[in-house]
Amino acid sequence: MSQTVNSNQLARQTGEVTAPKFRNTSGRALALPLLVAASVLLLWEIGVRMSGIPAVILPSPWAILELVVDKHDILLRHAIPTTLESAGGFLLASGVGILIAILLTYSEIARQALFPNLVFFQLIPKIALAPLFIMWLGIGSQSRLAFSVFISIFPIIIATTAGLSAADPNAVRLCRSLTASEWQIFTNVRFPSALPYIFSGMKIGITLSIIGVIIGEFITSQRGLGYLIIFATSRADTVVAMAAIVVLCASGLLLYGAVALAEKLTDRRYGVPRG
Amino acid sequence: MSEPAFIRLDQVGKTYRTRTGPVHAVARASFDVRQGEFVSLLGPSGCGKSTLLMMVAGLEQPSAGTLGFKGQAIEGPRSDNGIIFQDATLLPWKSVIDNVLFPIDILKRPRADYEARALELIARVGLRGFEKKKPHELSGGMRQRVAICRALIHDPPVLLMDEPFSALDAITRDQMNIVLAEMLETYNKTVLFVTHSIREAVYLSDRVLVMSGRPSTITLDLAIDFPRPRSPSIEDAPRFRELVRVLRESIEQAHEATAAQH
Repeated sequence: MSQTVNSNQLARQTGEVTAPKFRNTSGRALALPLLVAASVLLLWEIGVRMSGIPAVILPSPWAILELVVDKHDILLRHAIPTTLESAGGFLLASGVGILIAILLTYSEIARQALFPNLVFFQLIPKIALAPLFIMWLGIGSQSRLAFSVFISIFPIIIATTAGLSAADPNAVRLCRSLTASEWQIFTNVRFPSALPYIFSGMKIGITLSIIGVIIGEFITSQRGLGYLIIFATSRADTVVAMAAIVVLCASGLLLYGAVALAEKLTDRRYGVPRG
Repeated sequence: MSEPAFIRLDQVGKTYRTRTGPVHAVARASFDVRQGEFVSLLGPSGCGKSTLLMMVAGLEQPSAGTLGFKGQAIEGPRSDNGIIFQDATLLPWKSVIDNVLFPIDILKRPRADYEARALELIARVGLRGFEKKKPHELSGGMRQRVAICRALIHDPPVLLMDEPFSALDAITRDQMNIVLAEMLETYNKTVLFVTHSIREAVYLSDRVLVMSGRPSTITLDLAIDFPRPRSPSIEDAPRFRELVRVLRESIEQAHEATAAQH
């Protein structure tokens, strides 16, 4: 009897100790990073105003925001080609990358011949090759698209190849035992099993594809946010350059969000709930 | 007893080529399985039992000897096997009913013809009401019940089971043995069952074949003559314990013989 009382007391005590620990963790996960970002912006604003740093060196966040609102039409005109070319480069890289990964999975000769080279290419700083793409393909959007595909395709190929060979060998064996064709095994087991890998490759790919387009615009272009940044900084118009960067961040978030949304939608059909 | 062999293995051997030289997994295994018979392959881990099973499934080719099914040589996979692995191997994105109907999709048969059978099988293994659940919502034992339904959906004459319950806890395992025995009362199948549990083999089988270590051969072919249906209480019968003892001694002898070779 006394033991029961003791264990009850113990339960109550531990309950009191653990209860506050679990309160509000999800709200905090959202509030904390926002609080940090707001504090940085606030310190930046106060620092610029107090120290009198000239706007050409560091404009205040408020001044940048004002410019984004005032010149939204010009910014948008430059944001559209950058966003579209990034999306185009990413879609091409995804399509071609997944096809190459399928080839690598099914052809041993292709895998032996190509995979070491792909890994080698993954290691070299591909940005250094950007001027060559302009030289080969001209100053039009095709060179930026090609370069964007070139730098974003590697993580997609490597992740998809890993995903396609990660299927449960017994699930493949089960299909084989039912006289399934390779195509049936691919559509029913290998590809759905690879989807989480493919999306993680595509999430890296989309950010790289934006970098590819911006680098192309840095080198030679008459439009796009990369061009705007270079143009503005050459005229010491730091506020405009910063505003272009803000819009670029928004565009990047939009594109990344689209990939994340596509992942969520396929997850509903093919997802394996984690944990 | 004069029925012809349903599955026949004749001097079957399997040698794997590896970097360090050939590995003899199976050496000269010969046995027959009659139609409707439940035969267990019993032996220590890594003695080539699963390899034998995969050869019967047509998923692996023997290096020596021949395998036959209904008098015809087994040359590759045929759709008349139902396979159950140690892991339930359900497709995680498919519901219970879709996993059960998966072989029908692969065999390109009309799904509508098999939906009623799928529901019946699911009900018989005690999963009525779980048809729309996803595998992650089920326990290990429930998943393996789904795997049993999936193996039976296309009504194959042969069930090949590769240590199907060895990943389950002891209590669930006993329940699964009862579920399997009940299912086989309803759906008469020829079963080749790989296990390393002596009690499980005796409870379920008509015959138990003991396999020695590598390269493995059949060292004992023991008939289990308990009438069916069998109650779980037969495990307390002196005859049951006697059979378990005979099998254990045979495995130990095989083990010692293998150890002496090395």
